[in-house]
Amino acid sequence: MISLHGTVAVGAFSRHFSLEFGNEIVGVFGANGIGKTSLLRTIAGLCPLGEGELKVNGVIVDAPAKKQFVRPELRNIGMVFQDHSLFPFMTALDNAAFPLTMRGMKRNIARKLAMETLEQFGVANVAEQLAPTLSGGQSQRVAIVRALIGSPQAVLLDEPLSAIDDESRESVRNQIREHLNRLGVSAIVVSHDRTDFDHLCTRIENYTR
Amino acid sequence: MNSVSSRTPRFVRIGALIGVLFLALPIVGLLKRVAWSKLWSQLTDVATRDALRISLYASVSATLLALVLGLPLAWCLARMQFTGRRFVRALVLLPMVLPPVVGGVALLGAYGKTSGLLGGVLDSVVGIQLTYSLWGVIIAETFVALPFLVLALEGGLRSIDSKYEEAAAVMGAKDLTRFMRVTLPLLKPSLVAGLMLAWARALGEFGATITFAGNIQGRTQTAPLAVYTMLESNPEGAYALSVLLVAICVGVLVGLRDRWIGGASQ
Repeated sequence: MISLHGTVAVGAFSRHFSLEFGNEIVGVFGANGIGKTSLLRTIAGLCPLGEGELKVNGVIVDAPAKKQFVRPELRNIGMVFQDHSLFPFMTALDNAAFPLTMRGMKRNIARKLAMETLEQFGVANVAEQLAPTLSGGQSQRVAIVRALIGSPQAVLLDEPLSAIDDESRESVRNQIREHLNRLGVSAIVVSHDRTDFDHLCTRIENYTR
Repeated sequence: MNSVSSRTPRFVRIGALIGVLFLALPIVGLLKRVAWSKLWSQLTDVATRDALRISLYASVSATLLALVLGLPLAWCLARMQFTGRRFVRALVLLPMVLPPVVGGVALLGAYGKTSGLLGGVLDSVVGIQLTYSLWGVIIAETFVALPFLVLALEGGLRSIDSKYEEAAAVMGAKDLTRFMRVTLPLLKPSLVAGLMLAWARALGEFGATITFAGNIQGRTQTAPLAVYTMLESNPEGAYALSVLLVAICVGVLVGLRDRWIGGASQ
């Protein structure tokens, strides 16, 4: 569950949000510049809230007035970044296994689990390739695996299907939905494509300027 | 099609050729003076071996010490806004532009046994005398090598895109883990370049070392000091040791070729 009542402020941008998300997949829709990515970065803890209060699963993670701020590494949130942000010096498999090793799992077990999830997303064949050698679509699938794999308590997906070709879009959407349903946590999907929302989300929040 | 900027006038070419000759001639002169048939025996002479051993030990120790001091310094300069940042940067660069002998005198002022700010305390409390000791050589070499490492690391840290560290943080990587698993691999090219430059500078150190640590064979006499000393007593040995130092420096340049001189060939 995510509850945010406050101002998201990044640089010159500032916008008030008032939202309550249960354990559902919510699509956030709106024109460029309305603060969709800033909203996700604030929930992840990469940008502090300007004012107000942010709770994840009932726990306050950011409340400037109360001087409370939980650092991103302690929030246990899975996130697909818009540009994927895969570590360039690691293989696809090590990228995917990273969140598991951060939770103390042994490397070989983490790699085995990551390999299974890469298989489900159809990118097991590139597991041993370094991240910069992957195509846009492959890189995005690895980024999705990386966001879903560590049993996060909320998942944020910033344009998660933008680089996936039309033929595989449906199967990737199905995989994401299946994983999110299994996790049973709040998930926020930011996208420009209404069909992604129709197939993936249980609810849509439309923001205008 | 030749553009105006790609045409090189004759006088520029001649100037460049004179520049190349100016740099190459001393190396050729040095190679010509080396008694190649006696090279091995000169390099295995006791004084030369001592000097090489001390040089190697002190330069590697100084590079490691520079890393321990330089990494936090570079981090703060690259990623923190604080009062006096420009002053700290100037201080870091100072040993680069300072005459090394002056650096040695300054080190005496800080760590000299009798008159140094800290030297007396170090001697009486901890029992360490830095002047005229191997420690002194290491300190002098660290003093002159540190700026090279800090500059390389600061540039490297600035060029790292913060998105990778942000992604690692969201995935649960705490400060030290994030540094070891993400920042350090991204910093590797700058780190290697900085370490090699700092080590080469430490290896070639002369002025600060002779002023602060002296020139005692078997104790503080490094390879450059031995070259200087042998030039009068054993010129063949001096040339042999010099050519070895040239070879080492060429090795460093070859090691750094992709980073520093690779672009020139394209």
